[in-house]
Amino acid sequence: MNNKSVLKRITGSREFLLAVIVIAMFVVVSIFNPAFFSFKSVMDMMKNNAVMMVMALGMLCVMLVGGIDISITSTLALAGMAIGMLLKYGYIHNTFLVFVIAILIGLACGMVVGLVISRAGVPPIIATMGFMYIYRAMAYLISHGGEWASAAALGSFKDFATLKVLGLSPVIWIIIVCYVFFFIFMKWFRTGRKIYAVGSNPEAAEVSGINVKNIKLMVHAIMGLLAGLAGAIQVSVYASAMPDMQQGGEMDVIAACVIGGVSMSGGRGSVIGVLFGSLIMAMIPRALPLLRIDALWQNMIKGVLILIVVVVNVILQRIADRNALKKREA
Amino acid sequence: MSEYVLELKGITKIFPGVKALDGVQFQLKKGEVHALMGENGAGKSTFIKVITGVHKAEEGEMYLDGSKVDFKGPRDAQAAGIAAVYQHPTSYPDLSVTENIFMGHEILKGGRIQWKDMNREANELLKRMNADFDATAEMGTLSVAQQQMVEIAKCLSTHAKIIIFDEPTASLTKSESEELYRIIDQLREEGVSIIFISHRFEDMYRLATRVTVFRDSRYIGTYDVDGITNADLIKAMVGREITDLFPKPEVEIGAPVLEVKGLSRTGFYRDISFTVHAGEILGFTGLVGAGRTEVMESICGITKPDSGSVFLEGREVHVRRPSDAMDLGIILLPEDRQKQGLIMSWGLGRNVTLPTISKYAKCGLNNEKKERELSKELLEEVDTKAVDIFQPASSLSGGNQQKVVVAKALSQEMKVVIMDEPTKGVDVGAKAEIYAIMGGLAQKGYAIILISSEMPEILGMSDRIVVMCNGRKTGELKRDEATQEGILELAMEKSTTKGEEA
Amino acid sequence: MAGKSGRTISNVPESPVKRTIMSWEGILVLVLILVNIFCACFSEFYNIGSLLNQMPIYLAEVFLMLPMAFILVLGEIDISVGSITCLCATTACLVCNTGAPFPVVILASLGVGAVCGMVNGFILTRFTELPPMIVTLATQIIYRGIAEIVLGSGGSISANNTDGFKALGKKLVIGGELNERGRLVGGIGIPYILFLVVILAVIFAIVLGKSTFGRRVYAIGTNRTCALYSGIHVQKIRFIIYTVMGLMAGLCSLFLVSSSYGANTTTGTGFEMDAIAMAVFGGISSTGGKGNLAGGIISAFVILCLRVGLGQRNVHAQVILLILGALLIAAVALPNIIGQLGRALKKK
Repeated sequence: MNNKSVLKRITGSREFLLAVIVIAMFVVVSIFNPAFFSFKSVMDMMKNNAVMMVMALGMLCVMLVGGIDISITSTLALAGMAIGMLLKYGYIHNTFLVFVIAILIGLACGMVVGLVISRAGVPPIIATMGFMYIYRAMAYLISHGGEWASAAALGSFKDFATLKVLGLSPVIWIIIVCYVFFFIFMKWFRTGRKIYAVGSNPEAAEVSGINVKNIKLMVHAIMGLLAGLAGAIQVSVYASAMPDMQQGGEMDVIAACVIGGVSMSGGRGSVIGVLFGSLIMAMIPRALPLLRIDALWQNMIKGVLILIVVVVNVILQRIADRNALKKREA
Repeated sequence: MSEYVLELKGITKIFPGVKALDGVQFQLKKGEVHALMGENGAGKSTFIKVITGVHKAEEGEMYLDGSKVDFKGPRDAQAAGIAAVYQHPTSYPDLSVTENIFMGHEILKGGRIQWKDMNREANELLKRMNADFDATAEMGTLSVAQQQMVEIAKCLSTHAKIIIFDEPTASLTKSESEELYRIIDQLREEGVSIIFISHRFEDMYRLATRVTVFRDSRYIGTYDVDGITNADLIKAMVGREITDLFPKPEVEIGAPVLEVKGLSRTGFYRDISFTVHAGEILGFTGLVGAGRTEVMESICGITKPDSGSVFLEGREVHVRRPSDAMDLGIILLPEDRQKQGLIMSWGLGRNVTLPTISKYAKCGLNNEKKERELSKELLEEVDTKAVDIFQPASSLSGGNQQKVVVAKALSQEMKVVIMDEPTKGVDVGAKAEIYAIMGGLAQKGYAIILISSEMPEILGMSDRIVVMCNGRKTGELKRDEATQEGILELAMEKSTTKGEEA
Repeated sequence: MAGKSGRTISNVPESPVKRTIMSWEGILVLVLILVNIFCACFSEFYNIGSLLNQMPIYLAEVFLMLPMAFILVLGEIDISVGSITCLCATTACLVCNTGAPFPVVILASLGVGAVCGMVNGFILTRFTELPPMIVTLATQIIYRGIAEIVLGSGGSISANNTDGFKALGKKLVIGGELNERGRLVGGIGIPYILFLVVILAVIFAIVLGKSTFGRRVYAIGTNRTCALYSGIHVQKIRFIIYTVMGLMAGLCSLFLVSSSYGANTTTGTGFEMDAIAMAVFGGISSTGGKGNLAGGIISAFVILCLRVGLGQRNVHAQVILLILGALLIAAVALPNIIGQLGRALKKK
């Protein structure tokens, strides 16, 4: 394989296009708002979007097998409220323990969702729609119907996000570690590749001996785990725990994945794509004011963006199919 | 040690309502290329699935190198060195060729996949087959012939000792087939034992040393390829003189009903022109992938042709969707009766009346009484073996299901009836009944188009025969001048597509 | 051409009475009765009067369930319904505040709903490769987003002229009368919306179960390919259904505003889950081709009574949502699990 085809592969890929968009957006925003062009402001942006960026990795896994999960922010709220209440009432003080508990709660939530989908045959959209309400209600119940943990109640945990470990906030490190881990896992480990196989052709995967049910259970467990982690991040970054945390935020995560090139039917998508997709989603709120678009338009634009991306995908696929047919003819 | 690398005895496989295999036997010598032939529905594909562990036979034994084996699933067969290359590759379209080859047995070091090594090995395998693509290519972007090469590479990577090919040349051009022959020769030289199913005598003569024939789920015999003629083989496959099977009545051919001029659809078929007359049965044949079904689907409005025109009784018609065709009287009995022809979970009556519910409806509400009467009448007319009109279509045998499809067609106003592989997977008794129905329709003056891959059927029923190959019409024969060989020659004509490839 | 063998086939259907009692709908009626008994014991305020009083708030959602049943039978889903309701409610208040006569308000709300439905339908029928879930997920965000833009930074709007809306919320009084403050004294007041719900429910049920349109919907939901080959205009039917869905969301929003006299950015949240839950709980399969509206209507009342009963005991709104979420999942999971157990037992 020579260099020419490597270059062709890079430029032809979707990830390249996304990288270009990310850089272009960054440059444009910086031109209009020079303050944006600084390490600190980029780090702040990432910290504020850490929740979305981390959960996008879980959504990638779920979408790769052709599924979806709209209960993620409810899992986040449940985990977040749990640790918020535990901190508030002084049951725990250790930051590490806080993360472990949040992750375990998230993992448990995800596994239940995964079991319902893989074993009881409930379609993902319906199962996760139900759990969205169940877990959110549980978060409210933990908060005794509306109580919340304020910064003061969190004790030393509230400073977690503002610490500096090797010059970066620990939250940023969490993002980096997650992305690196998943990048390696999805590319170099058999289980990661099995996820792609199940999404690309579930029947062939079954015949190959891959346990499709367990893979589906696993991806939801991963999603739950990351949602739990995101819950801990949320509480630390916003220094508070409220039962309605991130309500509606699941759409941002899905948008990040769709923009990042993850296919709804499964089998296509990459960690890099998701990284760029979530960076683009993170920069949209910055870019809009520059185009003199009111913040109120944000949601509508996000929705339109998702629609445009999926429709363009379909159109491109139709063109590719047509070209393949022409080749057959020639 | 047995002289046979693979031997099966007394294999019987039963599916609900049908005996797919009835005490068949088979012996494969080491390093031989053995052809398996028979009509559609003779049991060949089921047999292959038993060998590869996909199905478990109810009775019978299988021996590998003399020792009895009992496969619990496809993995066992794979581990035992048996691999199959199917007509429609089951692969992962979004993943690379390398991944498709190595899925399930990737090269690992310390738990991590070694992409460099796998790519290298995959490329080596591809080179052995003169593949013109790289192992990093995405599977979904490859042509059928290329995907087939990947399937073969997959077999090689698992060090298969026995490779089974199911209709390997069905979708290939002449030069691609030559390439495949070369690969199979090479495999044989390397000591791999090969079974292949094919409808093409040319494949058999070129590659195989012995041929086994199945008919109606039974083992008929095994013959040396050198010592057998086409006629012998056909007799073994069909089992009787062609003429008695087909009660084709003498019908006076009337005026042209349907005329097609220059119909084309990029990538599927090009410049198709033909005419069908009242009372005539026009046979449409060719190998799988020739484009016959695609042409009919365009005429019936399921797909849109890119150019060309269709004339019904002299007037040009524009069919934009299936209901247009049906309103004009052009009725299609689709190829796949389970997916296209019938709703398997619905009752027979509801299936039969589905296209015409509006005709008897009162103010948009279903006239269930009339539907019950009509469906009973039609189902009885085609002599369907059923207890009542409410039983689900899935409970019937293949032949009876096909009769329901016919009844569904009869419920409509017909001028042209297009039957696509009407006797595929149908038992002999029901086949005769369907031919009788076909003859009866011709007598009534309808124009009939019969698409079929079964030579005897085409020769027995058609007044004229159109042959297609790779999307082009390669010839038209009259009933009395048509022969098996003549048709086959036209069906496998030197490919005019892709030119002479390097 | 009579059959050669002279074989005859029966076309006498099985008795409908026997079928009904043993069916899902029969079980649901049983559940309805049980729920009512449960609620009556649970809460001292639970009686016909209080039921009728508090129903209207939830009855409007039944309008959403009716077309959702069609969409589910198609094997598809529409999760933008709650957002369409929000947008229509906003529109209704806006138009009302311009001083337009009430019929115009009604038309505006229905119109906006129909347009939203048509947008859904257009995208889905033009790009048939796109799964309904992702398209309606995107439009869900878009429609609510439009409402957010229109509502501005305040995030809410009130209807100035509430006469029209009050008329929608009127009740038919039987025995007893209204006192000078408009409160009901003695007897019962049946809200007019109940009549509309019943009429529309009957119409939708007949269309789904007995009309040619409905038969085709079942065909598409069971085997889309065969439906196409049988001459059914698949895309036209889909387009109509999604448009009607939007229209009914408009209708629902009118009754919503009639009880709250306003709209805000959270109006209609969760309505899609309620609609789907009612339909699925009523026996309509989420994968398509099975079920009928009778079940959906009964289960709608089951959920309605449950909500009223629990609400009277001050059960937290979130807990009610929890129960509904669990019911939705159970409605789909239980038949599957029971089926699996049955097959496993048979093998032994």
